Amino acid sequence: MANQSELLPRESLLWIFAAQFAALLPQFALLPLWIVCAWAFAVYWRLEVFRGRRDLPGRAVKLLVVALTVGGLALSYGRWFALEPMVALLAVSFTLKNLELVSRRDAFLSLLLAYFVAATLFVYEQTIPYALYGTICVVVITAALAAQLGHFSARPRRALGLSLRLLAQAVPLMLLLFIVMPRLGPLWAVPQNKSGASTGVSDSMTPGDFTRLSKSDKPVLRIAFDGPVPAPEQRYWRGLVYSDFDGRRWSQGFGVDPREGGVVRWSGREQSLPEVGPRYRYRVIQESTNNPWLFAMARPISDTRGVGETSDDRIIKRGPVYSRFAYEVRSWPRETLTDVRELDDFQHRRNLQLPRGGNPRTRAWADEFRASGLDAEEISARVLKFFNRSFTYTLKPPALGVDSIDEFLFGSQQGFCEHFAGSYVFTMRAAGVPARVVAGYQGGEWVDQEEYLLVREYDAHAWAEIWIAGRGWQRVDPTAAVSPERIRDGLQNAAAEEFMADSLLPLHRIGILNRLRLEWDMVNYRWYQAVVSFDSDKQQNLLKKLLGEVSPLRLAAFIAVPVALALIGILLWLWFSGRGRRLPPASRLYQKFCRRMARAGIARRPGEAPRDFARRVRVEKPALAPMVELITAAFEKAAYGEDPAAQKQLRRLLRQWSPGANFMFLKTVGAGRIATGE
Amino acid sequence: MSLLSEMARPVADRWRELVQRWLSRRSPPSRSVTLDHGKLFIVPSRAGMGFLLVVVLLWLLGTNYENNLVFALTFLLVSLFAVLPVHTFANLSGLQLQLLAARPAFAGDYAEAEIAVSRSGGRAREWIQVYWSAEEGASLDLFERSTAEICVALPVVKRGKVRAPRLRIESRFPLGLFRCWSWVDLDIEFLVYPRPIAAGPLPLGATLSDSESSDLAAEPRALHGGDDFAGLKPYQPGDSLRHLAWKQYAGGRDLYNKEYESHVDARLWLDWDLLGGRDVETRLSNLCHWALQAEREQTAYGLRIPGIEMAPSSGPGHLQRVLTALALFPVRGGVSGQSK
Repeated sequence: MANQSELLPRESLLWIFAAQFAALLPQFALLPLWIVCAWAFAVYWRLEVFRGRRDLPGRAVKLLVVALTVGGLALSYGRWFALEPMVALLAVSFTLKNLELVSRRDAFLSLLLAYFVAATLFVYEQTIPYALYGTICVVVITAALAAQLGHFSARPRRALGLSLRLLAQAVPLMLLLFIVMPRLGPLWAVPQNKSGASTGVSDSMTPGDFTRLSKSDKPVLRIAFDGPVPAPEQRYWRGLVYSDFDGRRWSQGFGVDPREGGVVRWSGREQSLPEVGPRYRYRVIQESTNNPWLFAMARPISDTRGVGETSDDRIIKRGPVYSRFAYEVRSWPRETLTDVRELDDFQHRRNLQLPRGGNPRTRAWADEFRASGLDAEEISARVLKFFNRSFTYTLKPPALGVDSIDEFLFGSQQGFCEHFAGSYVFTMRAAGVPARVVAGYQGGEWVDQEEYLLVREYDAHAWAEIWIAGRGWQRVDPTAAVSPERIRDGLQNAAAEEFMADSLLPLHRIGILNRLRLEWDMVNYRWYQAVVSFDSDKQQNLLKKLLGEVSPLRLAAFIAVPVALALIGILLWLWFSGRGRRLPPASRLYQKFCRRMARAGIARRPGEAPRDFARRVRVEKPALAPMVELITAAFEKAAYGEDPAAQKQLRRLLRQWSPGANFMFLKTVGAGRIATGE
Repeated sequence: MSLLSEMARPVADRWRELVQRWLSRRSPPSRSVTLDHGKLFIVPSRAGMGFLLVVVLLWLLGTNYENNLVFALTFLLVSLFAVLPVHTFANLSGLQLQLLAARPAFAGDYAEAEIAVSRSGGRAREWIQVYWSAEEGASLDLFERSTAEICVALPVVKRGKVRAPRLRIESRFPLGLFRCWSWVDLDIEFLVYPRPIAAGPLPLGATLSDSESSDLAAEPRALHGGDDFAGLKPYQPGDSLRHLAWKQYAGGRDLYNKEYESHVDARLWLDWDLLGGRDVETRLSNLCHWALQAEREQTAYGLRIPGIEMAPSSGPGHLQRVLTALALFPVRGGVSGQSK
């Protein structure tokens, strides 16, 4: 038995440090620098102890270190109930454990902790690279466990090979468990990963925001349709509605956000929209944005838990989207809905709000429309016509001054979607038409034969909605008036020259790279669909597909049959690998003889030559000697002389003779046979 | 509390007895034992229990974060845990243990048994430990070889024939999370000689007749230099060199000449009665020490104990016979001087 207080050998220590390093490596960027340094220092100290240049720290030093690290954690984080401080705490416990890594037990403890640290990695990210890295971690940690036994196992190749073999054998059962193990909901509230700034469309729009977004090709949404697919010019993914303008910045305005008392109809409540009629059904997978707003077409309803519909026709999540989030949406195209209520007074005022002063030329221009008694649609058509006449769509608009709307409309006339949407809404409001800016994404790129629509950051877009009495909110996209190709073909084509000039490498020009990127995105999408978002619904569906119906009996069979097959396989392996090579017949006969001799009380020693064994028998059990010598001679002749007659003779001898039986009788028979045989 | 332990003891004894009986039915004593499923036991080790705890914690992490990758890792570790006992078991299953020799030892020392551990088949075996007590065990690998010969030590206290308890063979391969073991009885019986206890210098020429009192014998020092050195005569110039007592001279004494004309028995007798007043075990121990000393000094020595008399001689065979006689001396116990 391994002595528990046995000092750890060098290989053990190195393997433990390797496992810790593997588990901590991805966290290094997130952890405070001092923890990383403390860990490295603890490793250095422990190695110095191994070399005999230093002692393990005493009690006082250890207490001091614990106090320092706890203080450091409190200073670094200030709160405990969050993910990062907990991971930091694990990292710190590694560090402290290294300072008293003495016995085999400590080694096991440290490695078991390493498994846990490796798992926390997945809470941050569930992408394929992270999964692969996590697998590598598990292989290394398992190899470190194997290496703790020392000897051959501590050799790197042997330990890694053993670890890989064991884990490979564990995979089938793991898949089975993954499929059948029930997924309970969260048992208690846990701190979420809150690292990283919010990305994507923000809750306000100032000039330059969308230009910034247009420079990123990060995927944001992946949308798969179930049934009809909207035409390209209908693919507007609404995320936010800006109704408040302060002269420069468009924002949601007070009271829209549910945190400020905004009304949200959470899913599961009564549905006000018809269940019948034309609608789009789709599933959106949204990357983490660290914001609560979700993206959908107009008039959305979602049955996904934790998703609600707001009064301004959007859907939002109960908490920010800290990690990839999938939701099901049904949307009714606005044209198909007839029951339109009047805009209430508050909404009316809110959507006509303008800053007290500024932009006099635009106001004067809008007043002309108001005075001419045109209705909302006619005014809108005039404004769009104005845009269409002399405006240019560019990613690099000139900077604007204080009266930004005036300068844009009657000066530079060069802008991006945010300029068009903002000035359009301003003009409409000034002309007395309730209007608002809507921000989100527009368009998207089909991946793999229209399996899903990939929406990237550069698809971010801003457009407008105006209120038309009797018809409700109607979408108007001023950008489309200037650059229809932006809406039809996406930004890449609309501002191709500028777009490519901006990117570091003109990768978009290389078709194959673009194809590869899309392929990779598809792999990611499938990964997410199959693995990351595998929940109890999908589990039920899969089991139904596999088993026909989910009954306890079938489920039991589903589990038991593979397990039984595996057991049989293992038993066969044990049987075959333990049996050894098949010996030639003479040797097998001789072994049979040896077994009988062992039963008679005189066993052949391992490696003892048959002749030596016979000699020993003559000394220790003289009574058996004559027969043993006969058998030995016959065996030697059969085995080394390859004499088939001798082999037959050996078999005959063994059939009749047993060292326990009446020896005298058999001896005579055996001797007689030999005599006749020779 | 003491009452409870009083009551618990018979239960524990009974339980141990039951286990022993069960074991001896399962794996009867034999000089050669092949380990198979009937003889092997397997349970998770303490590290294994820790591993399970980590699995439970991971499952909680996965459930609370609804994180499928954490679940996957959890299930991978569970499956690993399920695969491991097969390997641990396979590491011991099919191993053959054979007793090669049980070397005699002195009481208070370790008795060593030579055991051959061999595998059949091509599967390598690793990290196997064979022991009676964990400190004195042997560990071996059957990696490139198929047979290993090991020495396992058992502390022995009493002289005589000592039947070794069951030998434990254990393995934690591959990850140390499972412990697979077997208790095998290789039918090992050690011959344990008495513990050598010094009793002064060799009683050269000191033979006591039956009539002499034991008081004299109680003072072995008094023998030294007395007139009773009848067998040896101080060397005088002119004496034949052929009869010089070289051995005694080498032993640091003066030069003596062996006096063959003498009728006194000049040979060295390790006599029971020289050690009167001591208990049986002490006498045997003293005799044992003398025998070893005499053998070291290559003096011929004889043994006289109740019931046995061995003519003086020397050499390993003689020593072994003498020590065996001492080891197997039938009377045991502390005080037998009075009974004599």
